[in-house]
Amino acid sequence: MPVPSIGGQALKRMFRAGLESLSQDVELINMHNVFPVPDGDTGINMYHTLKRAYQEIDRLESDDISVIAQRFAYGALMGARGNSGTILSQLLKGFADGLGESPILIPSLLKSACQAAVKQGYASVSQPTEGTILTVAREASESLSLRHSENVSLRMMLKSLIRAAQASLENTPNLLPILKDASVLDAGGMGLVSLLRGMAGGRARWRAGRPKTGGDIPTAVEGAESFGYDVQFLMIGEGLDVARTRRDLEELGWSVIVAGDQATIKVHIHADNPAIPLDYAVKTGAALDDVVVENMELQHQRHLSSVRRGTAQSDALSSDVAVIAVAEGDGLRTVFRGLNCSKIISGGAGRNPAAEDFINAIKNLASNCVIILPNNRNIVLAAQQAADLAVDRQVKVLATDNVLQGIGAMLAFGDASDSGADLEAALAQMSAASAEIRSIEITQAVRNTRFRELSINQGDYIAIVDGEIRAASEEIETAVLDAFSSLDIEDVELVTVYYGAGVSGVESEQLIKRIRMAVEGLECESIYGGQPLYPFLISVE
Amino acid sequence: MTSSRIHIAADSVCDLPADIVESLNVHIIPTYVNIGSESIPDDGQSLDRERFFRELPSMRNLPTTAAPSPGDAEAFYRTILDDGAERIISIHVPAKLSGTLNAMRLGAEAVGANRVTLVDSLQLTFGIGYQVWAAAELAAQGAELAAILEAIERVRQHTRVYAIIDTMEYLRRSGRVNALVASVGGLLKIKPIVDVSDGEVTSIARLRTWSRAERRLRQLTREQSPLERLAVLHVSSRAGADRFLDSIRDIAPSDTLVIETTPTLGTHIGPGSIGVATLSKDWRR
Repeated sequence: MPVPSIGGQALKRMFRAGLESLSQDVELINMHNVFPVPDGDTGINMYHTLKRAYQEIDRLESDDISVIAQRFAYGALMGARGNSGTILSQLLKGFADGLGESPILIPSLLKSACQAAVKQGYASVSQPTEGTILTVAREASESLSLRHSENVSLRMMLKSLIRAAQASLENTPNLLPILKDASVLDAGGMGLVSLLRGMAGGRARWRAGRPKTGGDIPTAVEGAESFGYDVQFLMIGEGLDVARTRRDLEELGWSVIVAGDQATIKVHIHADNPAIPLDYAVKTGAALDDVVVENMELQHQRHLSSVRRGTAQSDALSSDVAVIAVAEGDGLRTVFRGLNCSKIISGGAGRNPAAEDFINAIKNLASNCVIILPNNRNIVLAAQQAADLAVDRQVKVLATDNVLQGIGAMLAFGDASDSGADLEAALAQMSAASAEIRSIEITQAVRNTRFRELSINQGDYIAIVDGEIRAASEEIETAVLDAFSSLDIEDVELVTVYYGAGVSGVESEQLIKRIRMAVEGLECESIYGGQPLYPFLISVE
Repeated sequence: MTSSRIHIAADSVCDLPADIVESLNVHIIPTYVNIGSESIPDDGQSLDRERFFRELPSMRNLPTTAAPSPGDAEAFYRTILDDGAERIISIHVPAKLSGTLNAMRLGAEAVGANRVTLVDSLQLTFGIGYQVWAAAELAAQGAELAAILEAIERVRQHTRVYAIIDTMEYLRRSGRVNALVASVGGLLKIKPIVDVSDGEVTSIARLRTWSRAERRLRQLTREQSPLERLAVLHVSSRAGADRFLDSIRDIAPSDTLVIETTPTLGTHIGPGSIGVATLSKDWRR
């Protein structure tokens, strides 16, 4: 059946369906992590990015596709988390720009918008890597260029797009050896396929042989949130009909979640008038309990006015350089604070801040010159996007891979501030200092896997040396010492052990004793980091 | 020696050793170190330095330091004037760090302010010492006041004083340089290199290991070469100071001194630290 054109509201429904598809694939995508470490977060990052995007259009009545696409893209840019989320937001922005001002989507426009999306996606990373979400987007887009030069229905084009995306995704391990080594598909590419399938009204079908899932599967099907009222309550009664309640409530509001049984139903709904869903619930004969009503419009206004206050101050900004760092763990946060870091954003492995989190932090600084230390490879792009979006300030990102490099950079920041260095000079000094830090990160494997010559069992301690798995063992000390023996320790002078949550200072001192026995003449220091997931983060310099 | 009309005075923080003080005919007023209820003049004799620094780490309460009193200052100036001086140039520890200059001003007013010219050295230890040294040599040659003051200023501009602080504990407890302490930060073991200039002590580099700090100190010292004078300073770390001097022997003048800094300074810095005071040859141009 030919689809002659798509309007704004239809596009909005497609985006929503894409978001829902992704929400169901979150955990599966998370598991397609190259490293068997507990920070697989591509799925949740992409989900949060799209969720924030949908918030922008949830209440939009416009039937103009360019309006819907632009607002959706804006929300994605603000909500971008993780590298895949950030690239996705750039693809969406390119797509929206590619639509121009057209109010409707027609086949030829879809093709050019997809091309624009790919172009923008590639431009957003300094060194595009093939075998990633970028490849999946490009090959999907190229399928349109090759096969649909003439008049073809949008539905056919979408099908072609998805087929090509799926094929491209399955080919990613052939392009990117680390994927093949770890027997995974590219997680960002998976997210894109899930989104596209959802948008076309289907569900992604994943091939067998995927990594075993573990842990709780998040039931994040909230869809989107917007202004109006957030209403939550319990319905208590006998013989309640969950399915019917859900159906009825979906007519009365949005972001509806209904869960429960015949005796108790938990309801979450967003509505313009909170009385309407409450009235409905009472009329079913159920008793209400735990009623919570929040005015989301007011919350938004408060947020806006705080943002405006932030902007108004920008006349009086100082030219001193300020640093924003990402760190998780109360000890590590204290270390950064002690080194005069202006703002510390929570997050790290498995919990990536969004571009918007950086933008809000930047707005609250009294300085015009800002350096961001993402302290995680997967946060770099979102930080860079925030830097690009914060046009009224000079913001630079120093792409630190971990907090250990970040701390090295902060020590140099102190020296740079003392000498009155400007933004570029401070950045150069910090960059040189962070590059001198070697890192050993100790965590536990979340699944059985092989990595190069290493055979790793779930629960083994893995030592990641300068970003690469170098050792694995059931014994944490063995993993650490193996990591040390893989280092060239000729010119090593100082080892700093940051011990994580759940590890005691005594255990850290014992580890240091073992390191000292293995490597003579080292200065060692044990510091409480309090970080989750990583019992020890060790900087070697 | 007493033939020169202008005499040079300073406080004991200038760190000039007794033999040089004598040969230059300069007058030194001691500051005080308070240990418990005792107030001991830091004159190089009343206090057993070796014992003081040995016991410093285990003292429950850190010793404090005190400026001379205005009465001390007045008596000090009167003695010099009685000695035949027409005028005194009195060079001191920075007003930003010590009350000494204020006490000296009150003492000077008591003996007739036009007899004493006060100079804020804006420096510490041999950074003061070099100014005193140059001033004394010129005074002995019969130089005029203005010429001596101008020389002091040029020496100051060509002097650098750097030190590696082995542990921040003493500076933290001393409370005199809170901005420095705040800028170096807590938690991590850091061995900062501090710089003394304009009467302030600031950190210019944060190193995590002693050997790296020494490397940096060497580099900073070499930047001042060619040197007219060099003093390697230490607090209870003679061997470390000697080793450091050996590593820069090629740029060290033959009369380079290794000096244990006065307890007045040492109590704020703490044992283990080493430093340098340089005077580059350019000062004469």
